[in-house]
Amino acid sequence: MADQGLEGSQPVDLSKHPSGIVPTLQNIVSTVNLDCKLDLKAIALQARNAEYNPKRFAAVIMRIREPKTTALIFASGKMVCTGAKSEQQSKLAARKYARIIQKLGFPAKFKDFKIQNIVGSCDVKFPIRLEGLAYSHGAFSSYEPELFPGLIYRMKQPKIVLLIFVSGKIVLTGAKVREETYTAFENIYPVLTEFRKIQQ
Amino acid sequence: MDRSRCKSCGSKSLTRDDVSGILVCSECGFVAELHDFQAHIGGISGPVGTFVRVGTSGTGTVLNYREKKVFEAQKLIDDLLLKLGLSSSRSEDVRDMVYRVTEGEFGMGEWFSVLIGACAYVVMRREIQSLPIAEVASVIGCDDYELGRMVVRVVDFLELRGEFPVYDIVVAYERAVRSFSGFSRLPRDKVETMRKQGMFLIQCAVKWFLTTGRRPLPMVAAVLVLVAKLNQIELEISDVSEELHAAVATSKRRYKELLEALVEVSRALPWGKDVTVKNVLKNAPFVIQYMEMKSMKKRGVKRKDSGVGQVDLGEVVSECLRKDEYDFDVTYLESESYYLEAKDKCDHQGPDVHQLDRIEISHECLALVYLKFLEERGSLICSGENANARDKRRTDFDFHASKDWWKGKSQLSKRLMLKEILEKDVGLDAMPPSFVNGRNANERRRQKIDAAKQRINRIMHPSASGLTDVCDSQTLSSSVHSKKKRRRSQVIDVDWDDFIIETLLLHQVKEEEIEKGHYNTLLDLYVFNSGAM
Repeated sequence: MADQGLEGSQPVDLSKHPSGIVPTLQNIVSTVNLDCKLDLKAIALQARNAEYNPKRFAAVIMRIREPKTTALIFASGKMVCTGAKSEQQSKLAARKYARIIQKLGFPAKFKDFKIQNIVGSCDVKFPIRLEGLAYSHGAFSSYEPELFPGLIYRMKQPKIVLLIFVSGKIVLTGAKVREETYTAFENIYPVLTEFRKIQQ
Repeated sequence: MDRSRCKSCGSKSLTRDDVSGILVCSECGFVAELHDFQAHIGGISGPVGTFVRVGTSGTGTVLNYREKKVFEAQKLIDDLLLKLGLSSSRSEDVRDMVYRVTEGEFGMGEWFSVLIGACAYVVMRREIQSLPIAEVASVIGCDDYELGRMVVRVVDFLELRGEFPVYDIVVAYERAVRSFSGFSRLPRDKVETMRKQGMFLIQCAVKWFLTTGRRPLPMVAAVLVLVAKLNQIELEISDVSEELHAAVATSKRRYKELLEALVEVSRALPWGKDVTVKNVLKNAPFVIQYMEMKSMKKRGVKRKDSGVGQVDLGEVVSECLRKDEYDFDVTYLESESYYLEAKDKCDHQGPDVHQLDRIEISHECLALVYLKFLEERGSLICSGENANARDKRRTDFDFHASKDWWKGKSQLSKRLMLKEILEKDVGLDAMPPSFVNGRNANERRRQKIDAAKQRINRIMHPSASGLTDVCDSQTLSSSVHSKKKRRRSQVIDVDWDDFIIETLLLHQVKEEEIEKGHYNTLLDLYVFNSGAM
């Protein structure tokens, strides 16, 4: 098993995660350039795991089981891979898609692979007074209960958006590397404890 | 085909009838069909058209596109603001804001009405006045979210983020109670009382996390209905929520949650055990009075009181039990036995500090509630008003008997800062429902993990667990499925949840990770770990 698997089984490194909570990565979005023009109709006809409806969306949607991911393949040769749970998985999945395209007879390469977004989530295990947080961090946060139940916190450094819910569940998005997610969480954690509801 | 020949006889003698203008053959009298008609439009022989320019009046003054657009835009602004019922000064602010956002260009099209709505919302919100997004959206005829996006854009564009006040549900309630059509015929002081009662309740709801992270309007509707009921005004929750643009089902749920919270508070009253969601409305005046009194106290005083006393509590209860002075209605007969029990307990067991802690009520406040009740019941019965009613089995509680339950002196019936609300004690400190659910789900998963560990252990070490097998499976099924307990406890029924947990455990996933319940992620990371390179 790679370091991925081991990391989960080891105790939390408190120097890296002083809060003792490590956000779980839920989704990785990556892009890659296959560097050749593609005939989407031909791909859709030949590949079993592909769907293509040009009226709805101008890309082939392809899925593979391992790693369980979905890719959007555009006629320009650009590809977006979503749904992976780790960076390595995302890269491996993208490679597998590129291989499938190659097998269908296109001269696909594997250029400029890049992680575009990392989504993580965690639970701080205490309720949070969203109103209070919105009052005191008005410049960064937006809490509109008429529209969305969570508080949207736009952190400047690192540039991460956090969705904070009253139940204590947090979603962190917008990171390009996982460390950004972790840093953002460690930054916000003291703020959240300030607005925690003390359990009786 | 040659159109100048008759279709019937083939002669060329087609002439046009003077009156009808139809082509007729002068030889055989055949009337040519309509599609034979030759239009003389266009081309050299066609009639010459006159071009008319819209917006011209006389020579030299041309109303151009921009002026027309601005004119139409102003008309639209006036129209929408009238529908939204904004005052003239605020309308001016909205117009000014639209002007600033569009840099004096105004606009046309559907987006423009959304912009007007957004500006109206922003202006009202900045002045800490309520104008629900749902209402604006329904006037404009667009989606709540579309309007919300525009509001965010306006706020960002005008850089108002820092000074944009946080949404205040209390303001929303105040507006609702003042503008609600059902209350229009009520006297002003009654509406004012209802406003204060509602504000008290809604601030309690804020304290109990019933509003955080939830749409505010259904809660406003629920409080409005509850307050109306307390004031003997029957309102249908569906009507109220429709007028307030709230979802009916959600409003009903909030109403139920509010009642449940009141039930929780009423646990502190001596007859609290008998209060349920169904009869809490009858007890609501007492509960609210209790909450009001409690909120007027400073935190910490309560503890001193409860330290003093068991004897006082006993006195109060026994005072309340002087049956000779008055008759209880049927409604109260049930609870009566409970008071007796309480008295017995006091007499026989002596001071019970634990029980007192659980009750968490200051004797002073309890006595007040009770004395009040006694007085009013007593006086009403003595005056003979209810002489007949005594014999009858009454199901409805008479609110008039306690018409003075509402004092309105608590600060919670005024608008308070969030911090102040949180500092007040109203007899209940609830956790957010979503948090409680999450915690329960975690516990359930914890139990499932333990059960799965036992199962795995039994299979791996059959000899060691041979003796305890039966009892294991019993504890297992009872812990996993305590709700649907089966008679055949030997049968271990497991569902997909359990299988996933077992799989994850066998792949050495940390139990804390499993407890979080992100099964898909964990399966991908540890079980189908194809990402390892």
